[in-house]
This record gives sequence, C-alpha cells and structure tokens, in this order.
Amino acid sequence: MFGLIDGNSFYCSCERAFDPKLRGVPLIVLSNNDGCAIARSREAKLAGVKMGDPWHLIKDKPGIKGVVDWRSSNYELYGDMSRRMYQVLEGGFPAVEPYSIDEMFLDMRGLNDLVGRSVAIRDEVRRVAKIPTCVGIGPTKTIAKLANGIAKDYHADTGVCDMSTPEQRAKLYRVTPLGEVWGMGGQSVKKLAKLGVETIADFVAMPAEEVRKNLTVTGMRTQAELQGRSCLQMAFAPPPKKMLAVTRNFGRTITDRVEMRQAVATYAETAGRRLRASGMVASAMQVFLMTNKFKPMWPQYNPQQTFAIEATADTMALIGAANRAMEHMWRDGFRYVKAGIILLDLHLPSAYPDSMFPTRDPKRSAVLMKMMDTLTDRHGRGAVRIASTAPEGGWSMRRQKLSPRYTTNADEMLEVRP
Amino acid sequence: MTYNGGNATGFPSPATIYLEAVIDLAQILDLRRPSRYPVRVMGGSLPPRGIAERDILVVDSALERAHDRVCVVMAAGEVFLAVLRRSGAHWRLVRGSGEDLPLADDTEVWGVVTAIVRESI
Repeated sequence: MFGLIDGNSFYCSCERAFDPKLRGVPLIVLSNNDGCAIARSREAKLAGVKMGDPWHLIKDKPGIKGVVDWRSSNYELYGDMSRRMYQVLEGGFPAVEPYSIDEMFLDMRGLNDLVGRSVAIRDEVRRVAKIPTCVGIGPTKTIAKLANGIAKDYHADTGVCDMSTPEQRAKLYRVTPLGEVWGMGGQSVKKLAKLGVETIADFVAMPAEEVRKNLTVTGMRTQAELQGRSCLQMAFAPPPKKMLAVTRNFGRTITDRVEMRQAVATYAETAGRRLRASGMVASAMQVFLMTNKFKPMWPQYNPQQTFAIEATADTMALIGAANRAMEHMWRDGFRYVKAGIILLDLHLPSAYPDSMFPTRDPKRSAVLMKMMDTLTDRHGRGAVRIASTAPEGGWSMRRQKLSPRYTTNADEMLEVRP
Repeated sequence: MTYNGGNATGFPSPATIYLEAVIDLAQILDLRRPSRYPVRVMGGSLPPRGIAERDILVVDSALERAHDRVCVVMAAGEVFLAVLRRSGAHWRLVRGSGEDLPLADDTEVWGVVTAIVRESI
C-alpha cells in the first residue's frame, strides 16, 4: 500500500505557521517579482483568486481589494518546512519518498490500521512541522494520489481518504471525472470523451487493447494502476508538473569538493536540458547533499538549500546558482553519496511578467542554449559543456512583502514577546 | 580560504589528524530535529525564568505540555511567552505581566521552551 501526504496550500501554511495574523484570512503567495498567485489558502480560493492570476490585474477588484492578503515567495522558509515535514514522516514510516516540495509518498507495505496511522501522522505533522495536510491511501501510487485529491476536496474534516479496497474504489470511480487522474492530460480526456468514456469507472472498464490504441503504453499503465496493479514502485513516478528533479546516487562516496562541483554542474546541465525541452523556465531551486544514512557510524550531514532564482532555463545560470549553494553547504570530512537539484515553480516564460532588469539577454541566451541542445542531440551528451559558471549576484527581484526567513537566518528568527 | 592541514609547506602537517570540526552548538541544542525552532525574545524579559530581552530560546513543538513550563503561545494574532499552569483537568497560561488566561480552543501552544542562548553577557 502507498500513502500520499501533501501540505494544504503549502506555501500559505508555511507563512501561517509563524504569523498568526495570517490565519483564517484569504492569503496568497506570489511568484518571483511579486508576479502571480502560486499558492492560495482555502479562503483565497473562495474569494475567487485563480492559480496563476497576476496580482497587478486582480488586486483592485471588488472582493479582493482589502480582503486578500499576500506574501512574496520565501523559498528558504518553504524548503526548511518541507525538510521538517519529511523528517516527521520518516519517524512514522519505513520509507518516505519526497515527490515535490510539499508532497511525499509513504511506503505502507506490511502495516495495519492505515487510516488510524494516517490520522496520527497527520496530527503529528500539524503539531511538529506546523503544516496541515491530507493523506490518500491506495494499493498503487496513482490511486494514492487520486485519493489524496479526493481527501482534499471532500474530506477536509478528517483529511484522509482510503481507497485501499475495490469496494471503496468502485464507489468513487463512478463519480470522479477522469481529469482528476494523475498523468491524464487534457488531450487524453478529450479523446476518451469522444468514445463515451467520462468517469474513471468507464476508463477502468475499457479493454486494454482499446486503451493502448488511444493512449499508448502510458495509458495502459495508468489503467493498470487504477485497477490496483502497481506499476510504479517507490522511487518511480511521473514527474510532477511544476517541478523537475535531477538527483543521483553517486554509486560511491565523494569526499572532494571539486568532484562535487562537477557532479552538481552535470545535474544542473541535465536539468536545464530537460527544462528547455518542456519549453518552461524555473524560478526557484533546491540543492541538497546527502551522506549515507544506512551507515550510521559515519558522520551524517544532509544539508539542503531552497532559494529563488531569476526565471531562467539557461544552463549557465542554473550551474552558477547550484554551485553557489553547493559551495555554501559543503563541509569537509563527510562521505557524500547523493546530491540533487530540484527546479521549482516551472512555468512558461510568458506566464509571468519578465524581470524588470534581467541580468542575461534572454534572446542571446536562447540562441546559445538552442545551439548547445542541437550539438548535444547530434553528437551526444557532453559534446559541448559549460567551462565556467556564471558570475555571482547582479540580480535583484522585487519582494515587497517577504516574510522573515524564520528558520534559516539568525537575524530573522520569530520574535516572541514576554 | 580555511586551513585544512594540507601540505602547504611541502609536507602534510602532523597536526592534521587533530583537526576536528569546531564545537557545534546546533548539535548540542539538537536544532536539526524537525521540532526545534529557535526564536528571539523581543520587547521585554521574564526575569523569574532567567529570560532576558534578545535571548534566543530553543522551542520544541513535539514536547508534551507540562505544568510550570515556559511556552510560546499563538492567540488572537499574537505571539507571546507564557507559563503553563495545570489546575485539575484545565490548563491556564500566566504571562509575565501576571495576566492569567484560560487555554482556549483558538489558543495554540506553539512549542515548549527547552533552552536559553545568550549571545553576550
């Protein structure tokens, strides 16, 4: 069995954890440069704010002006709260797999009373990491993810939706639109609707051959998963939509800083290539290093940093940012076995207003990157590489309502009055 | 650049094996636990508990509440320190000013203070 737990309006919840004035009021968090809504509290959704709404276009509307409060995105805070959530979960389950900054899969194999455990872990995450969550339970990742969505929409009171038995699933499949399923894109939904397939129950009942003809092998896998046959083990899952991760076990230990620089640069390069292939840019990044937790006699050190970057898909910019974070976190004397880069808040370049004073010429950057990708396609990976990384600094963004970095900066701790 | 005992003088320093990391207060105070939050005291002090203005308090959100512990409370849009008092089945919060309030449903005991750090005395 799998569980999927995710933080409700995660960025908003992080803000509320430290600022009681933000509780119970409509709250949104804006993208870099205070551009668009990237997180909305339940109250803000009710006030009519849509995901991606540009703040400057909606802020004066009736029902929003003077009603909806907002904050600039504070990735340092969100990254650290995500770390806390992960650590709490690790204490309760044999394996936890972070899926995005606010979603984690739980390995529930061999455990009993899954609902009871989910309720308990949810309370603990709430109390310790200060994040309200919802949990979905199912025999496959796809079902767990679906259950999580249902928990969020219809079980706000208990926050848990159990779809572990065929009876529970049959009931929900009849009433749940196909678009709610993980990996089921708008195109597929349209295609199936033409065939009269509208609910999940319709889809699950389709002959497999029919599914393959219309949706290829990916569709077949989704169907099998929905039928309760697990195809996506822990550590394998389709990538989340708003995030791109490149993480690897080195297969050995790295103890040398220069070697780590090269590893991180390679991951950044791979991330950049994938990002460009999707036509998107990223506005935040998380970098982490890990020692071997299965060797408890070795000194353990698992630092991570999450921070905003100037929206980009430029490999040079990504390598520069990733290596700066790596250098900052690096400590001699540890045997590192894993590192990774996660690009966050992916969006189309046109979705957000451009940076007011971009530090790179976006046109020249695009030409160079296109050339790099062409050479890589033709001659294989590593045909051309970035020799040096980008210079530091120079970029500043507008963050007019940035909350303190309560947990990662000594000058910005939560202030308490006697 | 930091000294790492390397062979800057042509041969490795014999002191290399004694190069340990500096004492790590984060480790002593167990700040890497998910429940540990350092907070800063501002706008007053709590002398009976040895708490001064600008002290850093290490707050733990996982500890069970207990009688007579100093805790961080969030209520009515405010963040403040209070001492937990138990009377039978009920909990009360006593603030530094002597103000005594019941632990209402909309009051959150955010965490219990476990350590005080004073940067300079």
